[in-house]
Amino acid sequence: MNLERMPNEEKLSLCRRYYLGGFAFLPFLWLVNVLWFFKEAFLKPAYTEQPQIKSYIKKSAMGLILWVAVLTTWITIFQHFRARWGEVGDYLSFTIPLGTA
Amino acid sequence: MGFKLYDSMSRVMCVSAAAGVLSSSVEQKIYVELNETVPCVRLLNATHQIGCQSSISGDTGVLHVLETESDLDWILSSGPHPPYMVIMETAFFNRSVMMRMKNSSRVAGVAVIVSKTGLADNFSPHTTCPNQNTGVYSASYGSDLANCNVTMWNPLGNGLSYEDFAFPVFALKDENQTQVIRKCYQDHNLRVNGSAPQYPLCAMQLFSHMHAATDTVTCMRRTDLQNRFSINPEVLCDPLSDFNVWTSTRPLNNSAKGHAANESVVIAATRLDGRSFFWEQAPSAEGTVSGIVTLLATIQALSPVTQEAPPPRNIFFSFFQGEAFDYIGSSKMVYDMERNDFVIDLNNVHSMLEIGQVGLRRGRSLWMHSDPVSRQNKSVDTESAAAGLNLTVDQPSVSQPLPPSSFQRFLRVRGIPGLVLADHNTSFNNRYYESLYDDAENLNVTYPPDLSPDEQLVYETDAAKSLAEVATLVARSLYIQAGGEKKNLNNITADPKIWFLHQHVSDCVRLLWFLGSGPPQFYIGLGPRIHGPVHSVTRFVQYILANLTGTVTNLTESQCQNPSEVNTENKDLFSYFWVSGPASVNNTGEPFCRSASVRLSKAVSPAFELLEYGSPNYSIIPQSRWKSIRARIFPMLTLGVGVAVLLLSLLVTYFISSKAELLFSSARETPATTY
Repeated sequence: MNLERMPNEEKLSLCRRYYLGGFAFLPFLWLVNVLWFFKEAFLKPAYTEQPQIKSYIKKSAMGLILWVAVLTTWITIFQHFRARWGEVGDYLSFTIPLGTA
Repeated sequence: MGFKLYDSMSRVMCVSAAAGVLSSSVEQKIYVELNETVPCVRLLNATHQIGCQSSISGDTGVLHVLETESDLDWILSSGPHPPYMVIMETAFFNRSVMMRMKNSSRVAGVAVIVSKTGLADNFSPHTTCPNQNTGVYSASYGSDLANCNVTMWNPLGNGLSYEDFAFPVFALKDENQTQVIRKCYQDHNLRVNGSAPQYPLCAMQLFSHMHAATDTVTCMRRTDLQNRFSINPEVLCDPLSDFNVWTSTRPLNNSAKGHAANESVVIAATRLDGRSFFWEQAPSAEGTVSGIVTLLATIQALSPVTQEAPPPRNIFFSFFQGEAFDYIGSSKMVYDMERNDFVIDLNNVHSMLEIGQVGLRRGRSLWMHSDPVSRQNKSVDTESAAAGLNLTVDQPSVSQPLPPSSFQRFLRVRGIPGLVLADHNTSFNNRYYESLYDDAENLNVTYPPDLSPDEQLVYETDAAKSLAEVATLVARSLYIQAGGEKKNLNNITADPKIWFLHQHVSDCVRLLWFLGSGPPQFYIGLGPRIHGPVHSVTRFVQYILANLTGTVTNLTESQCQNPSEVNTENKDLFSYFWVSGPASVNNTGEPFCRSASVRLSKAVSPAFELLEYGSPNYSIIPQSRWKSIRARIFPMLTLGVGVAVLLLSLLVTYFISSKAELLFSSARETPATTY
């Protein structure tokens, strides 16, 4: 989809749909939103829908950063402590590596 | 340009695809597979993992032969090409060197040369106090006797079998292959005048990645999770399991479990297994074979007398499997007896006589060990049994506990009177207990040099005569213990020719499926799922017993397999074996059906049936599973050479593609003037 050829109202509705969709535990939609519409929101000359697009991008970015922080923390903790957790660690794991603790 | 490049690349790929068909020969040009190697594998117990582990794609290291102390320094600190793959001469395979290797990060693996040259005076990788936690002595029973406080049974033990190594350890058993490795080392890896050798160097790669980790509870839990939730379940470990072999002088009804009415039984027992540091290697001559052969000779000596003048009590002979690993076989039999799941129960047992290690007697003495806590006077009468024999039966000091023996498992449950016969008073006479070197030479089995193998089979060595004496004593004692009359004692003698059992080949052994090219190995293994129906040694003993105690019947093959259809035969009392006859001058070796009262009973630790994987009362030792175990050597080049070859080949490809028309043009332009 080429944003150049879309009228501004459609751009706004697309941005909004991606923003709302990200709330369904889909942070990648927010990532795509931010990357795709960044130029539109901040680097293009102003047009009527731009402030709303800007706010959606900013909120998507905040949500994205929150998700990244939570996931990074959990993954680090899990990788570090899984062996020490014994039974709980095994029940939480999808694949358990062979031959190591 | 792009098309031409594609074209030439596709031609290059065509050629390499054709070469791919021959790629196995390319692999053979690089790698030399080492076939006669034996790995050390990982075992688990309730709290630890023991044994060796390699990385999942093998461990690679530059070869270095460890022959002198300076080699050790080179490997551990000064050599410039770590990690090293150590080829260890026999003399260096001891605890101090192995622990230094374990603590070093420069060792990728160890390959031990197994030979008798340079072998130390003693080597026992087992612990100093075998099976200390699963015997009868504990805090609540003879607490001052527990943990070998009074007698250290295996003082020469260095405990290597119970250490955890993070690198693979293999044993090189074939002398020719060891020569190949040495030659590779001498051609490429030798230091010249103290300076480091240059690339290309000879390297070795060892694969022995084990699946199990941490301890038994974890491993069984993960196996369970895999089986329930995974699409492609991986089994991580298997419990050690096999079969005990038992027989009795009067047949017992195999389908009637629990207490057998009017049966009072004397148990004669010995162990059937051994172990060493390496997987499936356990020649165990003094540790196990001496006991097996003695008990078989006893059974052979007793069978005529018990037919003619049967004693009032029944004599129950049992060969327990898995005793090296916390008494797997005997604990299972006792467990079954307690739950009325066996042909007899503990109320039927009158007394017990166990044959321990009896091959290395010093002088004439044989020692009768008994339990000081539950000792009853005169539990087994050996004086009249020993009359006229060339041995004396002595008793150790009254406060000495029992040596590690299956009898201890019976005592844990019931105070049965019993004895353990052994050739040692305090510590073992066996200097190679549970190691690779406990073989026929350890038992001083020597033949005069000019005998053929067939003559060797019937030659009576000194070891054979000594064991025959012990067997005669045991047979007579059992007869007296079973209430037989003393006047029959002189008819009971064991035949020294029973020693054929320890040979590679014999007429009897040809009946069996088992026939390796070396001496039999007594490691318990993993039982029916892995090793085929029954472990070879177990089958070996079962068929020999059938041969010694059974009778020939004239059933056909189908009748032999379904004896319940024949009125005269009773499959509850006997088992039926379809065997081929011995090939000799008078006999063409026709198969026939033999019936004998020999049975197998499952030998797996009760903890695995009770699903108590952390149980301190039973053996919980599983063996890890693995995908592939192999070893190979190859010349190793630096990364720089590999990159250089890559760049060169890219350059050549570019050059070929740019000159493609010149190089690959065929005479396609037919001259117009042909016609």
